[in-house]
Amino acid sequence: MEFGPIWRASMRNKTGIVLIVLQIAFTMTLIINSVGIVEENAKLLATPSGIDEDNIFHLRSSAYDDDVDARLIIEEDLRQIRATPGVAAAVQTNSVPISGGGWSMGLATAPEEGVEQVLTSVYMVDEHGVDALGVELIAGTGFLHEDVVWNDAASNWPSKVIVSKAVAEAIFPGDPTYGVGETVYIDQNEPMTVTGVVERLAAPWPGWELVRERAILVPRQLLGQSHLYLIRAEPGRRDQIMPDIETRLAASDAERIIQNMLTMDQTRGRTLDANGALVNILVFTVVVLVSITSLGVAGLTSFNVTRRIKQIGTRRALGASRRQILRYFLAENLLFTVIGVGFGTVLAVAINFWLVESFSVPRFSWYWLPITMIGLVAISLLAVLFPARRAARVPPAVATRTV
Amino acid sequence: MLRMHDISKTFRAELVETHALRDFSLDIDEGEFVAVTGPSGSGKTTFLNVAGLLESFDTGLYRLDGVDVSELKDRELSRLRNEKIGFIFQNFNLIPDLNVFDNVDVPLRYRGFSASERRSRIEAALQRVGLAGRPKHLPSQLSGGQQQRVGIARALAGEPRFLLADEPTGNLDSQMAEGVLDLLQEINKAGTTIIIVTHDPTLAAHARRQVHLKDGVILNGAETAP
Amino acid sequence: MRVASRLADGLELFSYNLGLALRNIRRNPVLSGLMVAAIGIGIGACMSMVTVNYRFAADPIPHKSDVLHYIRLDSWSPDQSWQGGDRPPPQLTYVDATALLEEKRAFRQAAMSGASLAVESDRRDEKPFFVDVRATTADFFALFDVPFRYGGGWSDEADAAAEQVVVLGTDVNDRIFGGRDSVGETLTLSGRVYRVVGVLDEWQPSIRFYDMASGGGPGSEIEDMFVPWSLIVAAEVPRRGNTNCWKPLEGDGLRALLASECIWIQFWAEFRDTAEREDYTSFLDAYVNGQKELGRFPRPLNNHATPLMDLQREIGSVPTEAQVLLGLSVIFLAVCLLNTLGLLLAKFLGKANEIGIRRALGASRRTLFQQYLVEAGVIGAAGGVLGLGLTWLGLKGIDGQFEDDLGAFLQMDWKMALVAVVLAVVASLITSIYPTWRACNVQPAAHLKAN
Repeated sequence: MEFGPIWRASMRNKTGIVLIVLQIAFTMTLIINSVGIVEENAKLLATPSGIDEDNIFHLRSSAYDDDVDARLIIEEDLRQIRATPGVAAAVQTNSVPISGGGWSMGLATAPEEGVEQVLTSVYMVDEHGVDALGVELIAGTGFLHEDVVWNDAASNWPSKVIVSKAVAEAIFPGDPTYGVGETVYIDQNEPMTVTGVVERLAAPWPGWELVRERAILVPRQLLGQSHLYLIRAEPGRRDQIMPDIETRLAASDAERIIQNMLTMDQTRGRTLDANGALVNILVFTVVVLVSITSLGVAGLTSFNVTRRIKQIGTRRALGASRRQILRYFLAENLLFTVIGVGFGTVLAVAINFWLVESFSVPRFSWYWLPITMIGLVAISLLAVLFPARRAARVPPAVATRTV
Repeated sequence: MLRMHDISKTFRAELVETHALRDFSLDIDEGEFVAVTGPSGSGKTTFLNVAGLLESFDTGLYRLDGVDVSELKDRELSRLRNEKIGFIFQNFNLIPDLNVFDNVDVPLRYRGFSASERRSRIEAALQRVGLAGRPKHLPSQLSGGQQQRVGIARALAGEPRFLLADEPTGNLDSQMAEGVLDLLQEINKAGTTIIIVTHDPTLAAHARRQVHLKDGVILNGAETAP
Repeated sequence: MRVASRLADGLELFSYNLGLALRNIRRNPVLSGLMVAAIGIGIGACMSMVTVNYRFAADPIPHKSDVLHYIRLDSWSPDQSWQGGDRPPPQLTYVDATALLEEKRAFRQAAMSGASLAVESDRRDEKPFFVDVRATTADFFALFDVPFRYGGGWSDEADAAAEQVVVLGTDVNDRIFGGRDSVGETLTLSGRVYRVVGVLDEWQPSIRFYDMASGGGPGSEIEDMFVPWSLIVAAEVPRRGNTNCWKPLEGDGLRALLASECIWIQFWAEFRDTAEREDYTSFLDAYVNGQKELGRFPRPLNNHATPLMDLQREIGSVPTEAQVLLGLSVIFLAVCLLNTLGLLLAKFLGKANEIGIRRALGASRRTLFQQYLVEAGVIGAAGGVLGLGLTWLGLKGIDGQFEDDLGAFLQMDWKMALVAVVLAVVASLITSIYPTWRACNVQPAAHLKAN
């Protein structure tokens, strides 16, 4: 390849090379610094919940008459919901995984102060909890009807608990039985026996890394005016029964307002919309920028071809085949782009260091560097293919034309 | 060495047909120094382009060094140009961003010579045109005469079968033109065939054989030998 | 007269140059289009992000943000400071808010909290619905210069007597009363009958700025209704918003919360000058010292009366993501401008011949410089207009990504529009100076002789 003469010739006209090199380098800087943010947010968006998301929906029913017997209403509502054809299971809970709002508590292996607390999210359910969530029980058993306690927020905790595997591993590291049968203490000194372990159950907050996979189920029902029902439909019947449930609840008792009836998809969307937005904005930006850069490279090359028509004709007359002319322009572009991605790598990494330090932006995975480099080189070569083919079509007779 | 038989080429533009070459026949032998002359529009440039394999022709036969060129593909034509023909242009056609050395280097790279072979050939060619001391100069730093010498060196470096010169002194003042002409004659004496295309009778007079063109045909009896 | 004639000459030259520029642009539509697009897209991306950042950092109530102060007292736990930092907790306890209200030491003051009520219709077939409510004291409306369409706020006496009165937002008045003057009419909210005393006019600060400690960020909207503060107790209006406690509650229900060290109340005060502010701060310190004697406020004195904009900055009202995106969009714009610079350079150098001829015909370097600068300016202005449209589109696109309606928040105002156009023209002039300079340095002779 004739990189030597190309390099020496481009040094005669530095502006052209500087423009392309800077464009490629800045494009690379933007891509590399977007990648880390996209990676982290895409990971958040994909946070697995461990529950049967496809078939679960939930709704909040609020009584606005403050003189009600909450337990009576909940029990009647659940009876109604469970009797609806197409419902596989239902439960009243205090919070929904990935929903962004819920309770967190500390668990410890001893009731004394100073014992390390394992922070976890808490879902308050009844004996149908495991079934309604569709979580996989990998050790122990679920709750029984008589395990369930009914009280208000300030009262005591029940004596049983089901923990997620992540919680078990945090409290009983290395225990092959995941601590089933052991006692853990909640709220400093209230004992609970671990009766079961579920493979996976996500906390309500995907962005809270420490607690993300930690959740416990307790057989407890809160009394209050507002009730959150989580309903699991038989496979494929979710959309059909959502309106049925609303009608049934509305008909059973007029003194209530039903709000926030949402599928898990919608819940995810609400909690993680900013993360999704960030991913979409960045991906869109990168796509547009790469298009602009390649159009720019193509445009500049096109102009160089026009400006060098005579030179191309001369080269053809001196014996260059069409393929050699094509190769000349590709080689020239390759040279510039490689310098661009080289400079771009330095710039991108430097800026990333600064962003990580000053804005706690997530660091990108190293393999994105070679991927971006190769990608940019390939796209840039593709961009000059069109003008380079135009150059290859310049007839050799141009060399003898005197205009 | 160069055999053209009944070559015709016509340009069509809308309604007008121009016969650039009509049943044109010409034989040129090894070692000749031929001037093809004629006024503008006589078909000189078309002859130049056809002879130099820069353009195709409509009918007729053209054998270059024994090879029938009419059926050749672009690659083979390019290779022939590169190996057999050395071009010298009126405007020198040096590549402005390349220095003297790299300019002479251009056709040698297309030939695929090794780096050391190219270097020795370039140095020899520059020596021959008297520019051995200026390989790093840019065309813009040279006089017109010097630029044309670089052009000649570029044409010679590949050791072609013949040089095809298009108004080689057209852009030079008379003193420089003289020098270039002397150089060409010297090259011819050393054995290289030279064909000059020009409208300038004084230049043509230096050739050993003259071919006069008018309206795409050779004027009868106009071929003169000194 | 000479000035006038020179001006006329200048104008004539300008219009001649403008004509040439337009002709050049038309003669090369693809290239010119590419340049306009590059500038436009760059400006669009950059201005979208500038607008987002500007809106986050914007003053929601510019005409009086400097006199509005957010009151905070450090009532937090003896064991640790609020979130481990050196700032006091962001809200007040009921005990303290009540004390500050009773003292009435500021020119105006208001305690407030979010709340929620169900609107019940007399008609059986109409479903009840929840509305967002702000429970607050009488000064709220004067404090924040809230505009009224009908009626007005309530009095201190109504507050004290826990009268069941309500001020409606425009939308909810439209929904319930069809937009008519509903002052004096009644409506049932969560089982109690309220009398309408006022209806707001359009009041659209970009965010619920007075509620920054409890959900008043981007996408937050002004509440639908406002009710007297005392109804939180008297009518047990259900609260919403953040509640934080460092000490377990003693007893059950609302009474326990009211007596607790839990924080859930926002408190704003208006001071007319620094003296008032200083007086108030010393009053706060005196109050807290008094409380210390009663065994409360275990932490060192750390009371703040923070001006609105200082509070916004302290909370970090601009998310780091928005700042990083702004930085990336500047790189984006830089690429677009480099792109344009390259194309412009190629275009101008491609016209070396024409330039050579013009110079040979007597055009001075200066005249040519002007001519090409005008051409670049026209392209820049077109790019700016396109950029303006793309900014609008970009903001719509960003809004569409979110569940909340950010339409009101992500609005471009005339200031941003002006910035966009100015940025585009300045950017394109900067990018065109080098190509223009290069083009005008073409030697007149060189291009006439060769070729």
